Amino acid sequence: MHSDYRPMRLDEIDDSLQKEIRENCGVDVEMCMECGKCSGGCSNGHVFDYTPRKIIQLVKLNAEDSLMNMDALWICLSCHLCVDRCPSGIDTPRILDYMREKAYCKGLTTRQNITLFHELMLSSVRKSGRISELPLLLKFNWKTRQYMKDAFLGLKMLLKGKISFHSPGVKDRERIRYLFTKSSMKAGGARQ
Amino acid sequence: MKIAYFPGCSVHSMAREYDRSARLVSNDLGVRLEEVTDWNCCGATAAHSVDHALTLELNGRNLAAVRRMGFDQVTTPCAGCFNRMKTVGLELKSSPLVKRDIPDVMHLLQFFTEQIGLDKIAGSVVRPARGLKLAAYYGCLITRPRKIAGFDDPEQPTSMDRILQAIGAETVKWSHKAECCGGGFAASQTSIIIDLAGQVLEAARQAGAQAIVVACPMCQANLDTRQKNIEEERGIIYGLPIIYFTQLIALAFGHSRREAGLRRLLVSPLPLLSRSGLA
Repeated sequence: MHSDYRPMRLDEIDDSLQKEIRENCGVDVEMCMECGKCSGGCSNGHVFDYTPRKIIQLVKLNAEDSLMNMDALWICLSCHLCVDRCPSGIDTPRILDYMREKAYCKGLTTRQNITLFHELMLSSVRKSGRISELPLLLKFNWKTRQYMKDAFLGLKMLLKGKISFHSPGVKDRERIRYLFTKSSMKAGGARQ
Repeated sequence: MKIAYFPGCSVHSMAREYDRSARLVSNDLGVRLEEVTDWNCCGATAAHSVDHALTLELNGRNLAAVRRMGFDQVTTPCAGCFNRMKTVGLELKSSPLVKRDIPDVMHLLQFFTEQIGLDKIAGSVVRPARGLKLAAYYGCLITRPRKIAGFDDPEQPTSMDRILQAIGAETVKWSHKAECCGGGFAASQTSIIIDLAGQVLEAARQAGAQAIVVACPMCQANLDTRQKNIEEERGIIYGLPIIYFTQLIALAFGHSRREAGLRRLLVSPLPLLSRSGLA
């Protein structure tokens, strides 16, 4: 063992992120018993940089930078398997939603495509109150310069009437716009 | 019987066959699905991913509309909308600031098994789905997380199996009943769908299923529209039709293939279903 080895003492670590998450998400990571059932079951864990159990550890270690910059934040599928299997009922997807929102507000993302897709979806909701799939997909392919992506599939779906250019939206558009002004942040507003 | 019905964006466009067959068989069973007045999108993955407050607002408006229609229950055929609405409903219920009664949210599968009942469904069958070997696929959010969904078993659900058995079909025992298909990443990270939906198709094939039956428009889209890419990637031809459970009920109730909207599915279920005399 290294001569200056000193075991880590949890009471010496800044626990401000842990408190912040307890207050804002109602999730207490202190309850984690590190059994790893979350990571064992995670649908996309095999491609995550940090698996759910490690994510809980990062919260305990106040490692906000690692959490905000990790790839797992963006490729989590929100399948809720981790929270369902957790013996302590720790709501990891809620923590990820919270950290993702924070990262997004700072303009951080590891997957431009996913962030862009979220933005386009919300802009469709803001405009008409609903998502129209075909315009959304076309806009996405246009903005990511994948002009021919799924062109054949899209044509087939169009012919089958699976997707169409026109889909009716909400009548009370004003109310929808109002809901967006009540949203805490930019997803529906400033980044348009 | 009447219940408020929240179709959602996918069911209104891409999955219209799910909407139509759900209304059709509900009608046969003496249930009126009353569409939520001027409903809006639940916000889907996008809203809860980057804007928690917006999720609350969007779903709060829908739940209030249900209440204004005089209903204390609402059902939705989409697993995503179900999870969003119910999560927000429970969050609002626990908030001291909200005084209104929040309606109960249930997935269509739950409504069919718990409120309509298997006996009633079995009693309306005129053309049993005999000889069909089906894989009932629930995906993640219909039964998960158990604290939110409060329905069926999150690991080994059986409700859809029981419905399919009630209309005369056989269901296979398989490993991927409640695994994730990749959800909303179909366009933005297609490789994730190829990976996860591929595992689901492979598991259904190994269990000897002739088709996969679903209760969510995302599951249907991922398994059906990406099946060709998955076949190319894996070098295996699956040819597994991905059918909504309401479509199969409609056929068993004697409706035509046209009424059930079978032609709208990309991997055609017609050869399989006509072989077994169902369409």
